Amino acid sequence: MAILSLRGVSKSFGEGPQRVDAVRDVSLDFERGEMVSLVGPSGSGKSTLLAMVGGLLTPTSGEILVDGVDIARLGARERTRYRRDQVGFVFQGSNMVPFLTARENLLLVAGFGGMDKGALRRRADELLEELDLTHVAGHLATRLSGGERQRVAIARALMRDPALILVDEPTASLNTELGERVVDALAEEVRGRNKACLMVTHDERMAARAGRLIEFRDGRIRHDGSVASDEAARSDRG
Amino acid sequence: MLALIEMKRRKLQFAMVTGVVALISYLIIMVTGLGLGLNERAGTGLLALDGEYLAYASNANLSVIRSRLTDAHVAAIEDAPGVERATPVGYVAAVVEYGPEESDTAATLGVVPGSFAEPEVVDGRQLEAPDEVLIDRAWARLAGTSIGDTLPLPVGFDSRDFTVVGVVDQGYVFFQPTVYVSLEDWQALAYQGDPSQRPAASIVLIQGEDVAGASGDGWQVVTKQEGFENIEGVQAQQSTVDALRYMGLLIGTLVIGVFFYVITLQKVSLLGILKAIGASGLFLATQGMLQVFVVAVVGVLISVGLAIVTEATLLSSDTVPIMFNTNSLVTSSASVVIGGLVGAALSVRQVAAIDPIIAMQQQ
Ligand SMILES: Nc1ncnc2c1ncn2[C@@H]1O[C@H](COP(=O)(O)OP(=O)(O)OP(=O)(O)O)[C@@H](O)[C@H]1O
Ligand SMILES: [Mg+2]
Repeated sequence: MAILSLRGVSKSFGEGPQRVDAVRDVSLDFERGEMVSLVGPSGSGKSTLLAMVGGLLTPTSGEILVDGVDIARLGARERTRYRRDQVGFVFQGSNMVPFLTARENLLLVAGFGGMDKGALRRRADELLEELDLTHVAGHLATRLSGGERQRVAIARALMRDPALILVDEPTASLNTELGERVVDALAEEVRGRNKACLMVTHDERMAARAGRLIEFRDGRIRHDGSVASDEAARSDRG
Repeated sequence: MLALIEMKRRKLQFAMVTGVVALISYLIIMVTGLGLGLNERAGTGLLALDGEYLAYASNANLSVIRSRLTDAHVAAIEDAPGVERATPVGYVAAVVEYGPEESDTAATLGVVPGSFAEPEVVDGRQLEAPDEVLIDRAWARLAGTSIGDTLPLPVGFDSRDFTVVGVVDQGYVFFQPTVYVSLEDWQALAYQGDPSQRPAASIVLIQGEDVAGASGDGWQVVTKQEGFENIEGVQAQQSTVDALRYMGLLIGTLVIGVFFYVITLQKVSLLGILKAIGASGLFLATQGMLQVFVVAVVGVLISVGLAIVTEATLLSSDTVPIMFNTNSLVTSSASVVIGGLVGAALSVRQVAAIDPIIAMQQQ
């Protein structure tokens, strides 16, 4: 069974003439172990889709099934728990808690409860190591470079071993080489631990490192396919 | 712990509000202390009397100064239903010249020696003979009088020497330290006219049950507390002090409330992110309240320290009527902490209202 299924999901903002249809009737399935890139022009609805999957927005219509449960119908408490336990979110702005160190930003999620603290501590050190952050583990978030902050954000999203990893523009402030490393680390995590990852990006090279690429336009899926076939399609068109 | 780490890393901000809370709490403690001190000066000597009820002349409007009772009144009061024991007490304000150019007023109470109106001495012995006087500690502090000294009490234009035989711990009546003489001596001090016309007492102290409200021809009985509250100025003083206390508490509540409101406003985006990655509103509100609690408790502890230092230095002299007791310190402290939590509760609603979607809207 798909870990994540979208069934006719739409989201519109505002009423009457101000109404914006950000996502229109989108249906998709994601399997475990899948790393998916979401691309498309600015304003095409990528972040909105991610927010709905992450339990931050409720769709105007349609169903979002995670392990068969429609998260649009969760109550406030279950929704919080869903965000905590099943989703790892990396935001467009790599949002750190400024007065905490890199390591404390990871351990922060320990305070939310529901997991063994010792295990979380080991996990934090493991992730710092994997993402090449050990040397800045004790630095305040405000002192970290953009790229370091971005990687801490990714590490934080992975802390509780979520089934879904949602990433909005992960590599915006990374140079290509570092960006590739970060995406590869994510891909490895996804394949190795059988998760699903949705990554929004503008960077075609990053997008190409995922196994599957979905292109958005005006809130609709314009193209959905494996990266290889996508590139084939492009060259066909070109 | 998120809340405590934040306080540690933003020391200046939190130290400032803690300082303000400490000052406000100090103000509340001092005002409360002033209230207690003024009350004590107003009439603890009356409250300390060993009986539950007081009988006044019915035309005295519950004023000890104006009340005069005859032997017949005292006898009638003794026979009133519910009265177990009753004993006359006289009051007169006596200007005592205890040194060259040095004089002060002593609240001179006349009691029957050996009766339950005569306070127990803490030093020396009880009254035994005429021309003996018990002085209160407050008077001893004020005038430097001690056991064995003579105290000249005024009789008409003259004065009569009394020997200090004991020290008691009863406090003040009408802002004057108390001294105690025998009822007969009191009569001589208070009234110089025809001895047969002298009143038998100012008031009658009563032990018994359910006597409050009893009255007869020319007299009425109230509880001791009611008598105290009717002392001239006590109620006005009490309401002034209470108004100041509540004002201080209100200001403290508002300061803490506004501070945490502003801090929460500053952190809206951060709190949104934390919610977005799975923090519950309850968790965040608890963290906020924990900070308020720490700020309030530390502020209060500082203010209690300040108050104790103030008492030890400034107030050891007898001129400032401020006093503290554990009860008043605990009450003031607790009210500041509770006030702070109430003020901060405003921010809890704000935290609850933060939509985690804002985590996606920042760059
Ligand atoms: N809260 C909102 N209220 C009104 N309109 C919104 C809201 N959020 C998004 N939109 C609109 O929905 C559309 C899709 O926005 P979204 O943020 O999903 O785009 P995006 O594909 O992530 O763009 P970008 O690549 O620039 O991040 C846009 O037209 C946007 O203006
Ligand atoms: Mg976006």
